[in-house]
Amino acid sequence: MPRYVMVIDQSRCIGCMSCVVACKRENDVPPEQYRTRVVEMVRGEFPRLRTEMRSELCNHCDDPPCVHICPTGASHQEKDGTVQIDRRKCVGCKACITACPYDVRYINEEHGYADKCSFCQHRLKEGKEPACVATCVGRSRIFGDLDDPNSEVSQLLRENSWRVLKPEVGTKPHVYYINQFPRKS
Amino acid sequence: MELHIVGTNAITYPAMHVWDWRVASYLFLGGLSGGLMIMSAVNYIRPKNGQNADTLNAWKIPVLIPILLTIGLIFLNLDLERKLHAFWFYLTFKPVSPMSWGAWIVLIIYPLLIAYALAALPDNITRTIKYPTIRNWADALKPHLLKLAKVNIIAGVLLAIYTGILLSSLVARPLWNSPILPVLFLTSGMSTGAALMIILAKTKEMKLFFTKIDIWLIMAELLILVLMFYGHYVGDAVHQQAIAPFFSTSHEFFPYFLSIVVLGICLPLAVVLKFLEVTGEHTEELTTSSLLMMNFSALLVLVGGAVIRFALVYAGQLSGYSSYL
Ligand code: SF4
Ligand code: SF4
Repeated sequence: MPRYVMVIDQSRCIGCMSCVVACKRENDVPPEQYRTRVVEMVRGEFPRLRTEMRSELCNHCDDPPCVHICPTGASHQEKDGTVQIDRRKCVGCKACITACPYDVRYINEEHGYADKCSFCQHRLKEGKEPACVATCVGRSRIFGDLDDPNSEVSQLLRENSWRVLKPEVGTKPHVYYINQFPRKS
Repeated sequence: MELHIVGTNAITYPAMHVWDWRVASYLFLGGLSGGLMIMSAVNYIRPKNGQNADTLNAWKIPVLIPILLTIGLIFLNLDLERKLHAFWFYLTFKPVSPMSWGAWIVLIIYPLLIAYALAALPDNITRTIKYPTIRNWADALKPHLLKLAKVNIIAGVLLAIYTGILLSSLVARPLWNSPILPVLFLTSGMSTGAALMIILAKTKEMKLFFTKIDIWLIMAELLILVLMFYGHYVGDAVHQQAIAPFFSTSHEFFPYFLSIVVLGICLPLAVVLKFLEVTGEHTEELTTSSLLMMNFSALLVLVGGAVIRFALVYAGQLSGYSSYL
């Protein structure tokens, strides 16, 4: 069984937001709601500023609080390590939304169920990459199987230093961030 | 280098606000029901000096509890985005989910509450029940009232505490993520339960008995509240930030500041009034002014209990880890 992860090379992100658009189109995400976002964070004091581009999405955590809290088992972990929502079972209690430290869940305003990034599960079943990865012009988003030592994600994580978001909350995320600001040589 | 975060992506950055007054009302009414279960059971179990006239009136409380809980559950149900799917709560039991525990606790508590209410009905009321089955049930349960009261104490504690456990388990919301929160909810639930007992009681003896209990409960509640804020204050940055709205005078956070002011007035004032009530001289029949004072101080406690739930539900959702990256 594969163990799907996403690696985000922040230094390659140009902030074009095509991943956001591709995701909305692929997954029919209602207007005003997002499964992924690109946070632009400007730091420093004018005029010495620098911008961090940070793609954020569900981290498909290894120890997911959203799954633990879900009273009906709608939010669950699949064998491939991804966290998915069985819409049929979702009562829309919103406990998972409050439980996610990354604020990546929302209630689908048309249908009432909780929703979030699924790593495009329907595409994975067809052997395709998630839509955001396929569309990423900067090749900032890389997707693959961490259990395969030859996969691109495994190699990238071996060769680069990386971090995950909010490690202190103990969720063991499966989205890894590398090279926030590459050193100048 | 000094760092200033001067902007985030406003369009795509989320603002979490998913639980509102409906959930807060349920937390209040659930806590109140749990508190009433404990207090009304205490009233039946406690040794009494001679015949207590209020046994004639006390039955109304066990009847009131399922009504209050039902109103609370209606609010909770109103909050569900997919009400027709609610049966899924009972097709699963998730041992690690306090929410699943809550759904099952409520389900188990209902028959217990109905049995308790039937057992508490006095004969003259039982006789007026039209349906013979219910009448027979009430007659059969009557001898077991004290046993049911004892079980109600345990069930009441579970009902009043589980909502606190639920919120405190959410590591993503630092304001809720405190082990003292369930204790606060339990104490506050018991205190509001005692307050409602005072309002509903007819005799001086019963009113003064629950006033004495409530003094201790409110003082415990105040201590726990202070300790909860202190725990956040000495915690890490996210916990300090979590309580900031309560101590900010900016107009954005005014409701939170106001809630602290209201709590700071209501609860201590209630203690003082209650202290005056129990130490003061009373005539055989309570005077109108004593009655007013007792009901007023009990009302202060109920307001305090509601403010705690509303303030914590709303402020908890403001707290998070989002701004720390
Ligand atoms: S990022 Fe949030 S929604 Fe996704 S698995 Fe982790 S806790 Fe659940
Ligand atoms: S909103 Fe749906 S997925 Fe989320 S915790 Fe409730 S039932 Fe589970």
